[in-house]
Amino acid sequence: MNKPVLRLVDIWKSYEDLEVLKGISFEVAEKQVKVVFGPSGSGKSTLLRCINMLDPPDKGEIYISGQSLMEPSVKLNKMRVKIGIVFQHFNLFAHLKAIDNVSIGLRKVKGFSKEEAHSKALDALMRVKLVEWADHYPAQLSGGQQQRVGIARALAMEPDLILFDEPTSALDPELIGEVLQVMLDIAKAGTTMLVVTHEMGFARAVASEMIFLDEGVIVERGTPNHFFESPKSERVKHFLRQIDVLYGRHEELLEPSDREVNK
Amino acid sequence: MIFQTSSNPIEDFLTILNSWDQIFSGFVMTMWLYAWALLIGFVIGLMLAILRQYGGRIISPIATGYIEIVRGTPMLVQLWLIYSLLLNPLGRGIWYTSFVFFGRDITLVFLNARIIICILTLSLNSSAYQAEYIRGAILSVSTGQLTAAQSLGMSKIAGIRHIVLPQALRRVIPSWSNEAAYLPKYTVIVSIIGVADIFNQAKNIGFQTLLYLPVYTFVAIIFLITITLISKALDVIHKRTARPGL
Repeated sequence: MNKPVLRLVDIWKSYEDLEVLKGISFEVAEKQVKVVFGPSGSGKSTLLRCINMLDPPDKGEIYISGQSLMEPSVKLNKMRVKIGIVFQHFNLFAHLKAIDNVSIGLRKVKGFSKEEAHSKALDALMRVKLVEWADHYPAQLSGGQQQRVGIARALAMEPDLILFDEPTSALDPELIGEVLQVMLDIAKAGTTMLVVTHEMGFARAVASEMIFLDEGVIVERGTPNHFFESPKSERVKHFLRQIDVLYGRHEELLEPSDREVNK
Repeated sequence: MIFQTSSNPIEDFLTILNSWDQIFSGFVMTMWLYAWALLIGFVIGLMLAILRQYGGRIISPIATGYIEIVRGTPMLVQLWLIYSLLLNPLGRGIWYTSFVFFGRDITLVFLNARIIICILTLSLNSSAYQAEYIRGAILSVSTGQLTAAQSLGMSKIAGIRHIVLPQALRRVIPSWSNEAAYLPKYTVIVSIIGVADIFNQAKNIGFQTLLYLPVYTFVAIIFLITITLISKALDVIHKRTARPGL
């Protein structure tokens, strides 16, 4: 196994009286893709906010490529360069064209010249198949295109790891495919990814491990096969059944007469 | 002659126009005060808005307090306060220019103690209002923008500078236009401490000719034209700097 890019040790986080994360530990190795899933309110998004220290955990250790983020002396701005994030609501910079959304971090954070940043940003847009949209503003792009720009923005910084916070859940159904395709492409190209998603097809295709989170604890973890063939806990089974219903694959819910009609 | 007031508006108007040099130098003074007050008020207002929004538990209440005190007290009181504090320390220096323009001797005073006091009062006052307009615009930029900037490795300050402010300052133009349009009119209070702005000059012309109403009407028309032009200019700037969806 490759060296761990991300290592979480016993992460705890609470907001006032509410314990959101209760002792989360796992690792993501180089070029690995891991998927975190679970019901709403289980702490998935909080976990991602903890990992890049925008909302530091109360207790526990976070290591990025061996460097602890919890040490007081660590320069968080520098460390965040190593952690890309793709947001649920894209969070593209509204006043910047697609190309500038991708290049601004290269210029202002990594110190590249305008020309270098521009050509690197074009490369990143190429990887998400949006070169011809480079000069459009976010408001002129579809949700799927915006999210692909978001992915390009994260890729361009060449981070050690990219976090995806439910990247497709704010998209219209017909736009999800193009984003998942880009995510599959970069996963296969060796990007280290930690993905919070309910897209089980994506998980099955590229995840080396899936982690089921509920009420702030890891309830069950295993390969996609494990989850799809023989999940252990009732909560996981229940949750997966709900997901199936959502995607219209669960036959139990359809009345036999409906099925006849649909044939 | 002085007891005989004309009832012919056109004659009145021509009499006033005869003092065009006074109106002209007064107008220049008014615009001079206005430009500085708007500019300095903007710089201070921008800082106040940022401090109030991001200043944390100690600095933010100070900025808020300043804004509320300035907005809650009459500008006239602020003017007299600064006047009494600064008139003597500022001394008697003067910076001016004289020239002949269409056959009239014109003297334009750029700076002296009273003008500095006026610029200071107007800018400190305007800064509080501008701060609130700018803060409103900062609030309208979603927090996800700063989060995204920080996730790229920008410091909070860099994120505010490169991401939040470019959006907030574009959005603020329509509401900020209010302040830009009100401020020329507020400058007239400087006539109270004897600065020769357009209002003071109008008062002098009125005193000389007894044509108070016509000269004030004339000055009102000058303000109307000026403010209309300022509003139009800001509209153009707003359109030029607009971005789709912003």
